[in-house]
Parts: sequence; structure tokens; C-alpha cells
Amino acid sequence: MQIGKLPWAILAPAIIFVLIGVFAPLLMTHDTAHQDYGALLQGPSLSHWLGTDYLGRDMWSRIIGGARTSLVAMVFVLAAALFMGVVIGSLAGYIGGATELVLISAIDIMLALPSLIIALALIGVFSGENFAWISDYWKMILALTVAWWANYARMSRAVVVSELQQPYIEAARVMGASHLWIFTRHILPHVLGLVVVYASADAGALVLAIATLSFLGLGVAPPTPEWGQMLVDGMSYIEEYPSLVIIPGFALTLVVVSFNLMGEAFALQKVPRAVRGNFLRKRKAERAGEEIARASVEAHP
Amino acid sequence: MTRMFLRRAVLAVLLMLAATALTFALVTAAPGNVAALIAERAAGAGADGAMIKRISHELGLDDPLPVRYFHWLGKTASGDFGTSLRTGKLMTAEFAERIPVTATLLTGGGALAFFMSLGLGLWGAVSNGGIVDRILHGVALVGASTPNFFVAAMLVIIFAVGLRWVPSFGVSGPASWVLPWLTIALFPASVLSRVIRVNLQDAMSRPFATTGFAKGLSRRDVLLREALPNIAIPFITTFGAQFTLMIIGAIVVERVFGLNGIGAFFIEAIRFRDFVGMQAVLTLFVIFFVSVNLLVDLIAMLADPRLRRLRRA
Repeated sequence: MQIGKLPWAILAPAIIFVLIGVFAPLLMTHDTAHQDYGALLQGPSLSHWLGTDYLGRDMWSRIIGGARTSLVAMVFVLAAALFMGVVIGSLAGYIGGATELVLISAIDIMLALPSLIIALALIGVFSGENFAWISDYWKMILALTVAWWANYARMSRAVVVSELQQPYIEAARVMGASHLWIFTRHILPHVLGLVVVYASADAGALVLAIATLSFLGLGVAPPTPEWGQMLVDGMSYIEEYPSLVIIPGFALTLVVVSFNLMGEAFALQKVPRAVRGNFLRKRKAERAGEEIARASVEAHP
Repeated sequence: MTRMFLRRAVLAVLLMLAATALTFALVTAAPGNVAALIAERAAGAGADGAMIKRISHELGLDDPLPVRYFHWLGKTASGDFGTSLRTGKLMTAEFAERIPVTATLLTGGGALAFFMSLGLGLWGAVSNGGIVDRILHGVALVGASTPNFFVAAMLVIIFAVGLRWVPSFGVSGPASWVLPWLTIALFPASVLSRVIRVNLQDAMSRPFATTGFAKGLSRRDVLLREALPNIAIPFITTFGAQFTLMIIGAIVVERVFGLNGIGAFFIEAIRFRDFVGMQAVLTLFVIFFVSVNLLVDLIAMLADPRLRRLRRA
């Protein structure tokens, strides 16, 4: 992979979000939980760059802290869902037979319901006393993971099934390669290539889901700063201080737009595995050429 | 056609059974001692072991899980969804009160999304790569990325707080539905307008479009008469998927605008550990999702004869 040839313009916003999340402690000017009753609901100033909220907490620091919260939760869920999806999907595809049928049915049932509804239902289930030992934060992570794996499993299975039909797999088998060797050396790279790219584009939907759960009061609990929860807190002050709602909402929208932009770019490639700039640029040039040719034909029928 | 549709219907019923069995197993097995919860709500701290045992026996909570599922299934099929642990009212009464609210929300929002996406998609296609097309592309991207609670908040700030055109909270006349409908429709309209735009572009490069041009039709005529009918199938299927996703929008919107619908009830049920309420709403959701998908299949089959042919697997 040539670093210089990545589509930087499209990746940049998402990378900036990740960097803000990683270096959040350096960027924060105040403690996110520090309440200053001498400075409630202030406008922007030199000491509070984005003003303060109804408890006198610094908005700038809370927005930055919220980026970190979203990023950490998202990475946990994506990693866990990817692992679960790839393992289940690969097992289904590689073993086949009755195992495949059972696993596919499970995947289909999960996919028949919207992920967020599954996550909500699971958070409801986890609210029972049997689960009192898990904190709300981890309940959310767990619920989202279980709601999110099915799509990755479906994709993994499809890749495994199509790769298994390739002649080189047969050749490897003839040469006496074990199942584990064939899977890890020949099939897994293909699976990961597709699923990881898809997951990175899916990150926007996940950030949105985390914020929505927190907005509904079922995700990240205060005092941890989180954009959805900041927004719902601000709703009570919407008439006099709309900035309490607009700032976190804007931050959230920006992040989701960045990830969706990336996802759209990948979808346009049709070959999601190749993020290689050269190839990408060539494809784009070709497409633009086709587009112009078609437009000129359509303009002069 | 009938046989094909019946096959889909049987599959849909199987899916419903599997999904409800799964939710039943999770929701009833997981919460720990529901009987203790009920006894505590009924008698406060005075709930003793004997009372818990009696309630547990009365509710059949000491039976094995499959027995309890079929018992529950029988009751649900005859229209008995149980009594909400939170409000103490029959779930059927709660449904009767709340379904109209959510249904109004979904119908209005769905209709808005339908016409908005059709209009914007066509407008983009007419512009074809021009400035309007590019602006609409950007708008669709932002529309599909903005969280619906933020959309709701912005609409409230602009139209209710700023301009004072419509009320910001609760139901008082038809005007109060405008903001909820707009909020819930923005996401599906954005996604659908792109689907229409991309599929129209594809259809315009097909031979039948060229034939249209050869016959001397204008670009607008080819677009409306030849291309548009051909994108009906992808449009209908995506619309169905987006319509089911609008349930999530409804949950959020009902909370923001203080509407007493199913979504708001569901969130309250989760917060107050009302497992009976949760199970009833989830069942309702499963029925909704599966029947919308079935309906979409049926419409697609009616629209496209190719989908009616029975493929032997």
C-alpha cells in the first residue's frame, strides 16, 4: 500500500476525528466534569472557547471528551462485532451442511430486525437483576456488538464460499495443507480485506447508534461527556440557549458525514479491497470519462 | 404467482415464530425474578417468599421454557398481550391508545419521504451532473448523516422557537404533526432520492432509453416514460426497508416531541424494567417488520412478472 496514493481528501475528516479522540487529554482546557456555578450558561470567551453549559461545565472540553467517548465505544463495538461476525460467518461458510443452515438462519433472523431495535431490546434484557453487575456503559457495548455482527457474518460467509470454489484452494488441499492453514493463509485475508473496509465505512452508523442510545438515556451515562447525552440535556434550555443543542449536534453530524463520505467512496470503487490510490484514481478517471461520453450522447440524441 | 406468494408467506410466518421465540427466551429468561418484581410492586417491601412463590406459580413461571413459550404464543394469538408491569393497564388497552399515534407518524412520514425522494431524485436526474444534481447529492449525504434527534432539535429551534409557526411539544391540531413528519422523513428521503437518482442514471444508459431518443422523444419524456417505470422495483424494495427503519425514527421523535406512541412506551418499558410491556412491543415490531417485507414482496411481484416465476432451488 502506497501511503502517498491514498485518497487523502476523503479519509482526512475521519482521521482528524480519530486524532482528536486519541489526543483528547491534550486538547481539553478544563476538566469535563468540573462544575463552575459562578459561570453558568456563558457565551464563548477566552477561558471557555465554546461557552459553558447549565452546570458551568466547559463546552469545548466536553465536545472533545465526547469525541473520545464515541471513538472508544465505537472501536470496542467494531472490533468485537468484526471478530464475532468473521468467526461465525467463516465457520458457516467453511463447514457447510447443517451447521451452515443453523448459522445462516440465525444471521437471517438478526438481519430481519433493525440493528438499533435489537440493541434496545438487549439493553432492556440487560436491565434485569441478573445483569446488575455490568455497568450501563458495558451493557451498551455488549448490546451493540450483538446487534451488529450479523452483517459481517453474512459478508464473511459469502467471501469464504466463493473463495472455496477457487482452484488454488483445491491445489493447496492436494498438497496436503490442513484446514487451519488453508483458512488462515488463503481465505482469511480475503475475508478481512472486504469486511474491514466495510466496517470502517460502517463506523458512522455506529457513532450515530451510540449517540441515539445515549440520547434516549440508555447509553453513556453522565458525567462521562457524550454528544447525544449533551444534546438531550440541552433540550431543556433550547429556547434561551440553543447553542447547547447545536454544538454537540453539529459535532456529531460532522463525524457521521465524514464516515459516510468514506463509505460512499468505497462503494463507488466496487472493489472495496483496493484502497490503493493509483487504482482508485484510474477507476475514477474511467468513470468520469464514461460519464462525459454518456452525457454528450444524451445531450445530442 | 399465488404459489410463489404463499411460499413467501409461509417463510414470513416461520420468521415471525423464530424471532418471537428468540425475544421471548431472552426477555423472560434474563430478567431474574419477575415474580419478585411483581410482588415488590404490589406489596412494597412486605413481599415475602410465600407471596413470590404464589405469583410465580400463578403466572406459570416455574414451567420449563418451551411450555411457557407455547402458552404465551397461544395467549398472544388470541389477542392477550398481558398486563404492563409499569402502568398496570392491559397491553391491548395501551396499544389501542398508542398505535394510532405511531401509525399517524409513520404514514405521514412515509408519504412525505415517498414524494420528497421521488421529486428530488427526478430533479437530480433532469439536471444530470449539473449544479442542481451536485447540490442535491450533497444535501442527500448530509440528510442521511444527521441524527434525527438533531434534525428535530433544529426544526424546533427554527420553526417553533424562532418563527413560532408550529408548537414544539405535544399534540394540538394538525400543525403539531408537521415537525415530527419532517424529522422522520428526512433520513429515508435522503437515502431514497439517491437510490432513484443512481437507478435512473443506470436506466438511461440502457438500450430502451436509446430507442426512446431514436423515436425522437425529449430527454424529459425518456426519463418519465421509459426510465421511471423501470426503477419501480429497486424503489419499492428500498422504500420498504426504509419504512421499517422509520420505527427507530419514531422512537426518537416521540420522545423529542412528547408524543404518546409505541416508541415512547418501549423506551419507558426498558427504563422501568417492564418485561411484559417490552415483550408485547417487540412482538408488535416483529409483526410489523415481517408484514411490511411481505407486502413489499407482493407489490414487487405484481409490478414485475419476472419475479412471479417459481424458481426451483
